Amino acid sequence: MAETLLWVLPLVPTVTALAMLTTRKRRILSGLDVGGSTVLAALTFVLAREVSAGGPRSLGVFRVDELGLVFLLLLVVLTLAVSIYTVGWLKQAVAVGNMKAESLRSYFALVHAFVATMVVTILADNLGVLWIAMEGTTITSAVLIGYHGHRHGLEAAWKYIIVTTIGISFGLFGTVLIYAAAADVMGGAGAMSWSAIMQVAPALDPGIVRIGFIFVMVGYGTKAGLAPMHLWLPDAHSQAPTPVSALLSGVLIKCALLAIIRFQTIAAAACGAAFPQQVLLVFGLISVVVATPFILAQRDIKRLLGYHSVEHVGIVVLGLGFGGAIGTYGALLHVVNHGVTKALAFFAAGTAIARYGSRDMRAIRGLFAVAPIGATFLMLAALSLAGVPPFSIFVSELMVLRAGIGHGHWVAIAIFLAMVVIIFAGLLHHAGAMVFGEPRGAGRKAEAWSPLLAMLLLAAIMVLLGLTIPVSFDTLLRRATEVVVG
Amino acid sequence: MSAETIQTIIDDLGALLLFTMILIVAASQISRAIYAVAAQSLFIAIAGAVLATATGNVDLWVIAGVTLAVKATLLPWVLHWVVRRMNVRREVEPVIPIAATLVLAVAVVVMSFHLSASLGSVRQAITGNALPVGIALTLTGVLVMATRKTALSQMVGLFASENGIFFTAMAVTQGMPLIIEIGVILDVILAALVMTIMVLRVRSTVDADIAELDRLRG
Repeated sequence: MAETLLWVLPLVPTVTALAMLTTRKRRILSGLDVGGSTVLAALTFVLAREVSAGGPRSLGVFRVDELGLVFLLLLVVLTLAVSIYTVGWLKQAVAVGNMKAESLRSYFALVHAFVATMVVTILADNLGVLWIAMEGTTITSAVLIGYHGHRHGLEAAWKYIIVTTIGISFGLFGTVLIYAAAADVMGGAGAMSWSAIMQVAPALDPGIVRIGFIFVMVGYGTKAGLAPMHLWLPDAHSQAPTPVSALLSGVLIKCALLAIIRFQTIAAAACGAAFPQQVLLVFGLISVVVATPFILAQRDIKRLLGYHSVEHVGIVVLGLGFGGAIGTYGALLHVVNHGVTKALAFFAAGTAIARYGSRDMRAIRGLFAVAPIGATFLMLAALSLAGVPPFSIFVSELMVLRAGIGHGHWVAIAIFLAMVVIIFAGLLHHAGAMVFGEPRGAGRKAEAWSPLLAMLLLAAIMVLLGLTIPVSFDTLLRRATEVVVG
Repeated sequence: MSAETIQTIIDDLGALLLFTMILIVAASQISRAIYAVAAQSLFIAIAGAVLATATGNVDLWVIAGVTLAVKATLLPWVLHWVVRRMNVRREVEPVIPIAATLVLAVAVVVMSFHLSASLGSVRQAITGNALPVGIALTLTGVLVMATRKTALSQMVGLFASENGIFFTAMAVTQGMPLIIEIGVILDVILAALVMTIMVLRVRSTVDADIAELDRLRG
């Protein structure tokens, strides 16, 4: 059963995408969109149940363990939320001419093809398949980023495809080196399978694994949006259609993080845990520091959220770099928390942008007076992103912090804390100015239900994970942590 | 063929690959760079064929064939078609002078040899100087992408970079599993296709090179 699901899961969005090519009607397309995402989510929960009962499963080049499951659950929940959000968003976008009614099917089909490639990156056990699927996400999402077809969108798409393709070439090079090290120990067959490599990892040549890991770190780090390879990220996040921005920030960069974690475990087994942790620590700190000034000075709300993703990916990587059970657990929890919260923030920002017809935060004023529910969600998302208790991000940031203190990384902790405090102030300033004050330049049109429903779903998860972590999810995270830490 | 002959041939091909890379870096006209990258792919295909005869690994024949068909023929042809279609006036448009890029490229090559020399024990498992050549090609390809302002030159750099990875994979491990190599080539084709469409689309709407758009900042 569970083994069958491994190849059915990537097929669901693929079939959905193909089915979408047969129609042009917006209602049918939206129905297929929500339907496909629901089926994907339902099957994933079945798989999660099977894995929690019977442990990791594998089938050919695919494998699912608790670590992958954390990312897969995040993916399906966000995909479902995005599908629900798209219903109302699209209606508005078509009405104002942002999306052309006659080319909708290619948009929907591309979104699901994008989801399919991300599912494969999560389920891939074979590191080559992981790479191929990762490049697949680049190709599908590049088209989506430039989908609006104006010059800014195409500029962002070109920068994205060039920068991430360069980056990911490094990833392939690193993969080849690690494959060479593994093939040296165990012979060619199976030397690309992560689970097989892990069994012989202590015997791998540390020198070649070290170089391989650095290549992989730069490669998949580009895709994850780690500074200084993050150059594509703010452009892509700001120019893509809002549902795509949510997927990019919530899921795609997390898939790249999963790839980094997979290689981290190999490197830790081959050359000791300290080496990959140092590398991760450096990239994490650079990301947190580089993102800060751009967050403070930002005027475009979607770029703000983009730079914010750089900061949070940095925090995840810091958690992995501090290491140990607490740091890794905190990092994985932060992956989920940030994914959910950032998607919520993009949704809320997207509806505000549609209402005011501008991404400039100086133009968005008094949102609460014209759209109270949407404004509340925007404020909640901003508070959570800033790290205010009792929201979920506060919990995971605290864990990362505790791991750092536990391992005595005082300098890193000091820098991290300073940046988090500055960003806290900057973000709340931006959000407060948008939500409160006198509204101008916006109508009091009623808020569409489907975006609100999607936001409610995500906000509920965000608040729940802040107050308490359900036992089943806690067990899943603990087991996932064991996969990484051993 | 004896192991030593193979090693000599692979080393010679490595030298030819580096030479084509220098031609790509030095090319002042985009069509010359395209011919150079096509020649480079041809040498990669020959390296694949040589290793296939030596090891009797049938997969390597397939990889050599696909490389010849796709990277040495199809992709250069597409690039030439785009050049004609776009009626390119300004050719390569380097960000820094070509001479300076050449100096950097030489530095990259020296560094690559130095880096893999530090890998003592591992290198014995690897055919000749394939690893440093592979690293050098990959990094120089990236250098070309970073120092050119036109979309087509950036694409040439990308293909050269991919060539470096393929050469490393072939020489280091007698090739990755066939299915993976095919998947990688498929990705390269798709990426090239999407890039070509974007380049043409920008050219038709704003009459500018897509790589030169620079409104998004900060």
